[in-house]
Amino acid sequence: MNKKIFGWSMIAALTATTLVGCSGSAEPAKEETASKDGKVTIKFWTTTNTDENKVLETIVADYEAKNQNVDIDLQAVPFSDARNKFKTAAQGGDAPDVFRCEIAWTPELAALGFLEPLDGKVSEADKKDFLKAPYNYNVYDGKLWGVPHVTDAPALLYNKRLFAEAGVTEPKTIDEMIAAAKKLTKDGQYGFYLNTDSYFLQPFVWAYGGDTITNDKQVKIASPESIKGLEALLKFKAEKTVQANFDFANQYQNMMTDFKEGKVAMILNGPWAMGDVFGGKEFQDKNNLGIAPIPAGPAGQGSPVGGHNYVIGKGSKNVDESYKFIEFLNNTDNQVKLAKELKVLPTRQSAYDNAELKSDAVVQAFKAQLDVARNRPVIPEGGQMFDDWSPILQAAVKGDKTAEQSMKDVEAAWNKLLKK
Amino acid sequence: MNLLQAIRRNKAAYFFILPAMIVMIVLVFLPLAQGVYYSFTNMDQYNMGNKFVKASYEFVGLDNYVAVFTGPGLGEFLRILKQTVIWTFTNVFFHFAIGLGLALLLNRYIKGRAVYRMLLLIPWAVPSFISAFAWRWMFNGEYGFINVMLAKFGIEGIPWLSDPVWAMTAVIITNVWLGFPFMMVTFLGGLQSIPKDLYEAAYVDGASRIQQFFSITLPQLKSTIFTATLLGVIWTFNLFAVIYLITEGGPFNSTEILVTYAYDLAFSSWRLGEATTYGTIILSLLIAFSFFYSKVMKTTENE
Repeated sequence: MNKKIFGWSMIAALTATTLVGCSGSAEPAKEETASKDGKVTIKFWTTTNTDENKVLETIVADYEAKNQNVDIDLQAVPFSDARNKFKTAAQGGDAPDVFRCEIAWTPELAALGFLEPLDGKVSEADKKDFLKAPYNYNVYDGKLWGVPHVTDAPALLYNKRLFAEAGVTEPKTIDEMIAAAKKLTKDGQYGFYLNTDSYFLQPFVWAYGGDTITNDKQVKIASPESIKGLEALLKFKAEKTVQANFDFANQYQNMMTDFKEGKVAMILNGPWAMGDVFGGKEFQDKNNLGIAPIPAGPAGQGSPVGGHNYVIGKGSKNVDESYKFIEFLNNTDNQVKLAKELKVLPTRQSAYDNAELKSDAVVQAFKAQLDVARNRPVIPEGGQMFDDWSPILQAAVKGDKTAEQSMKDVEAAWNKLLKK
Repeated sequence: MNLLQAIRRNKAAYFFILPAMIVMIVLVFLPLAQGVYYSFTNMDQYNMGNKFVKASYEFVGLDNYVAVFTGPGLGEFLRILKQTVIWTFTNVFFHFAIGLGLALLLNRYIKGRAVYRMLLLIPWAVPSFISAFAWRWMFNGEYGFINVMLAKFGIEGIPWLSDPVWAMTAVIITNVWLGFPFMMVTFLGGLQSIPKDLYEAAYVDGASRIQQFFSITLPQLKSTIFTATLLGVIWTFNLFAVIYLITEGGPFNSTEILVTYAYDLAFSSWRLGEATTYGTIILSLLIAFSFFYSKVMKTTENE
C-alpha cells in the first residue's frame, strides 16, 4: 500500500514540475506594453564599458526625470557577447527596444529583419548634422536603420617620455615607425605591441594599397598589396621590436597594462580606451600621451572608421517612445557631455563646434585621425569577417603560415562567408 | 505485439515511467530529431526564419555530410577530431590515474581522512567557469602566476595561450584539476564495497601488496572503472566550458574540439545546417564508442 502512495505522489510531483517548466514562457508578454500606472518601460541594452556606463547612467536618469511616464530598463551587455545575445533575443521576438549596436552589425541585423526602419523618424536637420562616414553604416538596402552615436578611428598612441629618452620623434611612415620601434626596444621595454586582433591589421593593408572586402563584395585581401601590408606588420616582429610573450587570449589587457606601466612605447587603440589609459601610472600626467595618425605606407594612410549606432529592435511595442529616448541620448548636448568626460568622438558636426571640445587636445587628435579614416565595407558580413581573420593572422604572426598563404586562407574563408 | 503484451502485463510499471518518458520525449528526443533534420538543410541565419520573417531554408539531402567528409572539409574535420581525441584521452587517463591513486590513499586509515577528502573535492565543488577564469589568469603569458614564478627562478615564460601545444597542455591541466575528484569519489565508493575478507585471505596466503592490488582490487573495481571511464570519456568529449573560457579554441583553432567547433559554426558563423551536421556526427561517434567499449568490457569479463 505504501508503495502505491509513494508512486502516485511521485507522478504528481513529476507532472507538477513539467507544468511549472512550461508555464514560464507563456505569460510575460502582457505586462510590457503599459503597466498599471500607465508607465512605458523601454528596455535599453548598452555595450558601453564600465567607465562609459557611469556617464550614461546620469543621462538616463536625466531623461527619466524629464519624462515621468517613461521607465528606462538599462542593461549593460558585454560588447563581445552583445551581437549574439541580441540575435538570440530577436529570434524569439524578444529584442530590447533600444540597442547600442556596433556600426558593422547594423547592416547584418537589418538584413536579418531584426530592426525597425527609422526613415521618417530622423529629422532632416539631424541627417545633415551627422558626419557622413559613421552615418553611412546605418543605410542598408535603401533604408535607414539607426543613428550614429559615437564614432572612432584607432590612432597611434605613444609614450612621450619614452620617445624623448630614446631620441625618436613621431613617426610619419611605417618605415619610420619600425625604425623608432627598434630604438625604443631596450632594457626590458619594447617598441610596439603587436595586437593580433585583425581589426588592427586593416590600417597596414590599406597603407600598402590593399583592401579587405569592397562594398560590392569583392574580396581583395589576397592581392599583392594586401600581402605587403601584412608583411609590414610582421616586420615589427622580425626586427624583435614587439612583446616577447604572445598571449592571444589576454592580449588586449596585456597591451593596456604594458602601455600604462611604460613597458611598451607604442600601441594602436581608439578613443574608447582613454579612460583606461589615463588611469595608468605613466599617464597621470595626461601630457605624456602622444596621439598621432597611424603612420602611412606607400599608398597613404588608413584607419578604420568604427563606432556605435542606436537602433530599435523589431517588434518593439514602443517605437515612438524609443526613438524619443534615442533622440535625447543622442542630442548635441549629451554627445558633448560624453566626449568631454570620456573622449569618445561625437557623430554630430554641431558637437565639434562646441568651444570646450575645440580646445580638447585628445578629442581633436582623434578627430584629425577620423578625418582621414576609411569606411569598412557596409555589408551584412562586415562584422563577421573578423571572426575568420584573427585566428589566421595569429598563425601568420606565430610563423605557422607565410604572409601569402595566410591571406589566401582569409580569402577562402571570406568567399565562403559571402557564399561565392 | 510483444511490446503491447508486455505493456499490458506491467501496466503499473509503464504508468510510473510515463511522466519521465513524456519529459524525455519533449525535452530530449523531439529536439534531437529536429536537430538531425536540420543537418539535412542549408539553414543559416538569413534563412532560418524568426518571429517576423518566414523560414526559407531548404532540404539539401546529404550535402552537408559530403562537405564534411570530402575535400578541404575532411582535412578540417580530421584535424579537429585528432585534437578531440588527444584532449579526451589525455584527460581521462590523468583523471583515472590520479583519481585511483588518491582513492587508494584515502581508503586506508590515515589521520584527518575526512578533511583530506573534503579538500580534494574542492576543484569539483567550485563552479567550473570560475576555475576556468582563475586558470586563465594564471596562464597569462606576461602577468600570470605561473610565468611570474618561473621568471623568479630565471626560467623563460611559457607561451601558454599562444602556442598550439602549450595551449592544449594548458586546457588539459585545467581539466585534469577539475575532473579528478569525480573519479576519486567513485573509486573510493568502489573500494569500500570490496569485502575485507578477500584481503585477509590473500594476506594469509602471503600475497604481496602489489599482487593484492592486481588480483583483488582491480578485478573487483572493474564495473566501477567501466562506468566511471565511460562517463568520463563522454563528458570530456563534450566538455565545452573549459576550452571555450580559456582559449576560445585558439590559438588558430588548435584547441578547438568537436563541440566547440560546432558551437562556433552555430553561434559565431550561424551556419546552422553545418553545425547540426557536426552535432549529429558527435552523437554518432559517442554512440559507436559506448557500444564498442561495452563490448570490449564484456568480452574481457567472460575470459
